[in-house]
Parts: sequence; C-alpha cells; structure tokens
Amino acid sequence: MANSPIIQGFRDGLAAGDLLLQKCNSCQQLNMYPRYACPHCQSDDLGWQKAAGTGTLMSVTVLRAGGPEGFEQEIPYALGIVKLDEGVQLLGRMAPDEDGEWASYACDQRVTFQPARDKTYANFGHAE
Amino acid sequence: MAEQWPSYVDAGQPNDPVFVGVGEIPSGRYPDRNFIGDLTKVAILALKDAGMAPKDVDTILLIPNLHGFADQADLVFSRMVEELGLNRHAKASLMIHSGGSTSDNAVRSAAGLITAGHAKTVLVLHCERWGSANLAEMVTALSKNGIPQEWEQVTGLQFNAVGGLITQRYMHDTGSTAEEMASVCVTLRKWARLNPNAMFKDKDLTVEQILASKMISDPLHALECPPLADGAVAFVMTSAENARKRGLTESVRIAGSGGCVSHYSIGQETNLSVLGWPLAAERAYAQSGWGPEDADLAQVYDSYAAVTTIAMEGLGLCPKGEGARWFAAGNGDPGGKLPVNTNGGLLSAGHTGVGGGTALLVEGVRQLLHRAEQPRQVEGCRRAIIGGTGGTYMDAQVLLLERVEG
Repeated sequence: MANSPIIQGFRDGLAAGDLLLQKCNSCQQLNMYPRYACPHCQSDDLGWQKAAGTGTLMSVTVLRAGGPEGFEQEIPYALGIVKLDEGVQLLGRMAPDEDGEWASYACDQRVTFQPARDKTYANFGHAE
Repeated sequence: MAEQWPSYVDAGQPNDPVFVGVGEIPSGRYPDRNFIGDLTKVAILALKDAGMAPKDVDTILLIPNLHGFADQADLVFSRMVEELGLNRHAKASLMIHSGGSTSDNAVRSAAGLITAGHAKTVLVLHCERWGSANLAEMVTALSKNGIPQEWEQVTGLQFNAVGGLITQRYMHDTGSTAEEMASVCVTLRKWARLNPNAMFKDKDLTVEQILASKMISDPLHALECPPLADGAVAFVMTSAENARKRGLTESVRIAGSGGCVSHYSIGQETNLSVLGWPLAAERAYAQSGWGPEDADLAQVYDSYAAVTTIAMEGLGLCPKGEGARWFAAGNGDPGGKLPVNTNGGLLSAGHTGVGGGTALLVEGVRQLLHRAEQPRQVEGCRRAIIGGTGGTYMDAQVLLLERVEG
C-alpha cells in the first residue's frame, strides 16, 4: 500500500517513540484509527495529538499457531485491544512477561504504551 | 426503542418472496471435486427440490468463494448462466458479498428483487474449496480479508486470534469456564452426527478431547477452531403467487429481518462480548411482531463458540451471560429445549468460507420445509431464527423465517 499522510504520520510517531492519535482541527474530536475525513464532521483538516499512552486492556490473546505470511517466525505473540484513556481504542501487541509468556495479562487491566520504534503497530505493557 | 422500519410484505400477498427449494452436497475435504462442477450440481439439486427446471430461473445470485481470487473475479455468476443453459433467457446474474453474513444479505436482495418485480425466480448459489486449498495460503488469506491492512494486518492478526479476542472477553464478562465453552462445540457435533452432509458426521467429540487439544490462540484450543472445508449449497426463491401457480403446497416466507453493522476492524468494536446482536434482534422482532419465544429452532453463525453464545444472548434465545452454560446444560442439543444449528454448524459441518452461513440458512429452510433427514428433522417446526455475521463479526444479521402451507 502506498503510504498516505495518515499512515505515514502515525508511523512517524511510533518511530519517534510516540503513540499519535488523529485529531480533527475542525471539531477537535479524536479519531482512531486515523481517517481520511473526520467521521464526526467530515472535515479533512486533520492533525495529531500525542496519546498519554495509558488505557484499559479490553481483550488479549496469544497466537501460538498459524502465523500469517511474514509472521511465521514471530509465533507466539500476544495481541490486545486497548481502550485508551482518551476514549479511542486500537489493536496492538502486548509485551511478554519475563518468562516470555503472557500469563499476567487479563481483561480490564491497566496497560500503557511501550515504545518499540522499529514497529508499525503500537506495543503495550503493564502500567506501573 | 428501535427506529421505525417499513412494514414487510404481508403473508399471502402475491409478491411475498418465498423459499421453495434447497440443494447441498457434503462438506469436507474433496480434492476430486471441482468449483464449477459443484456449483452446477447444487444448482440442479435446489431446482429439483423446488420442482423446477433451470428455465424457470431468471436471476442468478452468486455468493462468493474465498479460496482464490481467480474464481472470485471470473464473473462466475454469468458462467453459471451458460452451465445451466440460460443464455439469453437469464435477465441478470450478479454477486453479493458481506462475508459470513452474505446469505442473509443475498436473501434480502433476492426478496427485494422479487417483491419489486425485478425478478420472478432467483437461484442463489455458493461453492467453497477451502478444504482442498493450500492451508498456508488460506491462513494468509484469513489474515487479510476483513482486517485493515495499515492498522491491524501489521500486528500479525488472523482469524483464530480474532476468535481468541472475542472468546477471552466473553469468558471474562460471563464467568464461563473452558468446559462450558467447549460444550458448545460438543452440541454442534451431536447435530453433525445426524447430518449426512456434515464434515464430521462420523466422529464423536468430547469436552475432554477439546481441552486436551493444542492451544491455538488463548483461550481457543485447536478443536474449538473451525475446520476449513469444501462445500456447496444453493436455494431457490420465487413469489408466493408463482409458488401457488406451480402447485407448490409448502414454502418458507420471511416474517422480517434486522441487522446492525457495528464495526469493520475488530480493534474498533466497543463491546466485544455483545457485538451488534441486541440492535439487530430488536429491529427484526419489531418488523415481524415476533419474539424469541416464537422460534422452533435457531441457525446461528458459529465459527467460534463465543460467536454463537453472544448471538444467542443478543437474540434473547437464552439468558444474558448464560449462553455457554445454556449449551452445557444440553438446551441446544438434539431433543433439547431449542435445537441450534441442526446441520452441525461451521464448527462441525465444516467452515465453507462465506458459505458457512449459507449452509446454516439452507438447513433452516430445509427444516421448515420438513425435508431434513430423520432423526434430525425438528418435528412440526414452523418458525426459525437465522443469525449471520461477517468479517471480524462486523455485523449481526437476523432473518425470521416461517413455514407457509397451501
């Protein structure tokens, strides 16, 4: 996929260690995932706001078999849906525990964004 | 309070669209069968079941396959015009797609064409070759379709992980145990054992076997993940007037329908253990005047146990939060309180891609036509609730079907 400003902007944020949320400059609403027009007011005057990074883990799973093409060698890995304190949510990866597993994670736990600058997705771990 | 929807066509109206025949061939792994051949076979079976010949059809509506892009893009709906000898006779041929809920939307589309006079008789058909396709390719396909490329494919998400995320949240919210979740699969297997077309018609399944199978995407075990299958189904819809003229004494009409598209990306679903079902059900019941207590059976999309229990709860067919325990108590079993997925569902009859929901629908119509094999036939059944969902459970679709006699 050719990169668009919304994809590039989000990924530039991750590379800089920030989780960026799209913010509509017209109605001030936050949009996740980033959109080509604000779904609230249809404006295309869109910018970014740095997320606090904290949120609630809505669900989590550890994929142990059947990694898609390009992910075969990364198995196992954990995926989580995080509702950020700003009110928007996204799917990301969960950092493993010290033993390389994810047994410590459960729904409704507090989690926080952990920069992983070489990734194009958000990485989360337990909140302090 | 549900918003007002237009009243549906009244029963007995000449332009009331009705199902008059179904066709199906066994699901499973059939490397020697072939896509066009199977489509042709089920088309002819459905037409025979309806007492019709190909020439009675004016519109062909294809439900897409997911086994390969070539067969998808090949305008197969028009090829079926040729295969059935309908050149110049057919008025229209086309494809409808909404993933696993395509069958529900195909019914709505066919019904609308018939009611509005754009079609007299519509043949809806589907064939999937997932069982014989390359497994690694299919796994990759299942990590792309219905998952946003730029935001979620990059995480390595695939469908068993989507099932894992939904199941995890459902178990958290309801306190359902691993044993209770597994019992849903066991109920489906009991039904599949009675269905000669089911992939696992010859194989028993126990909770112990499921829990001993390999963990695939926590908390889902291998035997809780849908088996990819080859399969093909078809059905025929026409107007009540045409059915009467043809001397058909039994048919199945649509009492109402409801739907709700709640998300596209699983990461954007704000209520993972509820999804769009309560809204879809409210809309369907409001249009039909039915309630959940009116159903004699339910055919509800079941690519994972939690997908079904969430739907059953949203449809009001079991108490909220109690879906898995409701199945564990045997309520959905053969001879239970409310037969559920009497063909064995996707989990035991076979996941035929977009067609898994079509097979559930076809079984519901077959039951209402009283044409299911004994002892699977639900005796005297008159009303069925069909529930479908597509993609990452992006929508909830409800069809309320009832038997018509005379």
